[in-house]
Amino acid sequence: MASASQVEEDLATAVAFMQLAIQQAKIAMDSLEVPVGCVIVEDGKVIASGRNRTTETRNATRHAEMEAIDVLLEQWQRTGISVAQVAEKFSNCILYVTCEPCIMCAAALSILGIKKVYYGCANDKFGGCGSILSLHSGSSEHQFSDEGSQRKGFTCTGGILASEAISLLRSFYEQGNPNAPKPHRQPVHQPGN
Amino acid sequence: MGIVYIPPNPPIPPSQQPTVSVYASVIEPKIANTLVRRLNQIAPLENLRHVKRVRKQCLDGGKMQLTVILCLACENGSLSGSMPKDIVELINSYQLSAFVTKVCKYAALSKEEWEEQCKLWPTSYHPPTYNIEGITGFSEEESQLIFSFMKLAIRLATSTNDQVVNAAVIVDPSSKQIIASACDQIHSWNTTVSKTSLEPGQLEQSAVFTSCLTPVVGAMLNGSAGRSKQLTDVSCLHPWHWPQPQLLASSSFFHPLRHAAMVAIESSAAGDRLLFPSNQDIRNQCSHEDDMQSVYSNSPAKRQKTVPLEVVDSEPVDNCSIIVGPEQVRPYLCTGYDIYLVWEPCAMCAMALVHQRIRRIFYALPNPNAGALGSVHRLQGEKSLNHHYAVFRILLPEEELMFGRREGNVYWYNCCENDK
Repeated sequence: MASASQVEEDLATAVAFMQLAIQQAKIAMDSLEVPVGCVIVEDGKVIASGRNRTTETRNATRHAEMEAIDVLLEQWQRTGISVAQVAEKFSNCILYVTCEPCIMCAAALSILGIKKVYYGCANDKFGGCGSILSLHSGSSEHQFSDEGSQRKGFTCTGGILASEAISLLRSFYEQGNPNAPKPHRQPVHQPGN
Repeated sequence: MGIVYIPPNPPIPPSQQPTVSVYASVIEPKIANTLVRRLNQIAPLENLRHVKRVRKQCLDGGKMQLTVILCLACENGSLSGSMPKDIVELINSYQLSAFVTKVCKYAALSKEEWEEQCKLWPTSYHPPTYNIEGITGFSEEESQLIFSFMKLAIRLATSTNDQVVNAAVIVDPSSKQIIASACDQIHSWNTTVSKTSLEPGQLEQSAVFTSCLTPVVGAMLNGSAGRSKQLTDVSCLHPWHWPQPQLLASSSFFHPLRHAAMVAIESSAAGDRLLFPSNQDIRNQCSHEDDMQSVYSNSPAKRQKTVPLEVVDSEPVDNCSIIVGPEQVRPYLCTGYDIYLVWEPCAMCAMALVHQRIRRIFYALPNPNAGALGSVHRLQGEKSLNHHYAVFRILLPEEELMFGRREGNVYWYNCCENDK
């Protein structure tokens, strides 16, 4: 069991990294994107960061997590490491993201086999780490005998700097999402994660 | 061949629908109006709006008998205790004799369910007023078009080197134009060319394509690669399989998340940016337009001749919509578009298609390991999501699925077998 001081220290570390994720969210906000940001940490060091880019790319899958993941994959493969090494590296990575990963991102994180996720506010419309689906829990009744086909779980802790994350999202939607389609088209009111 | 709608809720046999207990009583017809008005005030059936308050039955001898629901009963069904005071007063003042009966808990989703419900207690049934075409059936012409796009997806799925992978084709059904198409790019994402738009002629090719068995597939299936791989390259079927040692000496680049649907979405977004440059890019629009003219104008006249499907639609076809022009309305993501996938998508891809606002998903084969449209999850039934697409499964005969009987593909064969 971790001691009380250890828990406190872990929380302090998580808050410090989450501050960096919030900074990414602010960059998204300044670019008129839904303000969600993240950093990925390996061995106590930030190795990638990302923020929402759905408007710029017109690709609604370009969430902060997907952006950071792509940075890593490109970076690692430039050094020529193998598929197995990439898998090993992901299993040592911790993601800090300002909003609970959506179903898509949670599934992606499970596919990659990430070690741990800290998030800010919950995502009660699309959340894939407990709010709508629980893709972070590895157990499943649908398991193949093939070892390589088994789903992977990751531990997930929410509520880190949640109020900062929420206030960013709130101010974004209060000023009106300038990228939302015009009213005669389909309305959108959601965080982009 | 057939097209099966995969509804938001798992199907429940009509005879096994969940019920709730209510108190009811036979009443005199002359007090019905007064009583029902009073009951709606003191005991409204909030979550049972589909249940009729009053049941009319024709007794032997032609006499009409009315029975009214008084209020909800607790599940152990005892007559005393749980009844509200107002209801007890009503029973006393009208000399009613209450009994417990069951009504269906949820509104019927189909006529069959409704007929079954009414045997228990009458309910109302509102056939779905869906705005998504196809849920209530497809015309012969629509079906043929849908089959032809699916065959194109199947052809793509088997045309990548010597693997069988998943494939995705995004289509704008209003113009019958292919917006994007892609295969899984887990192991070769920088080497495979993904097209933002197939040439119009290619669709016709696929429409008249009767056998999906390409020489490449045949060679693969006869060789050892097909036999040993057992479809582990189909990324949505085996999303967690990517770190496993690869049999093929593939390119040094890989990306575990480049499933066909994700690549197709990316490709359609790239096409959107090219066709409709944003305000910042508007200065360059003129030069871009020239380029795009050459890319997209296999001139409208020629297009109509080579693509007979164009005239299938009864809506007037606006030739101008094919040519890029500033007056053309920029699409919002994939609003109004359909996607064809050989296999039911995994949770990542299915949610990506929610985000990108796809209107309809057609798939040919279920994904028992990781499918998110009915097999493991059912995203089309997650009410909290801000967008809902309609999901269809296309049943194709084995020949169309290329290799149902080939021994090298046990899984595929089993899939086809199980569906019968």
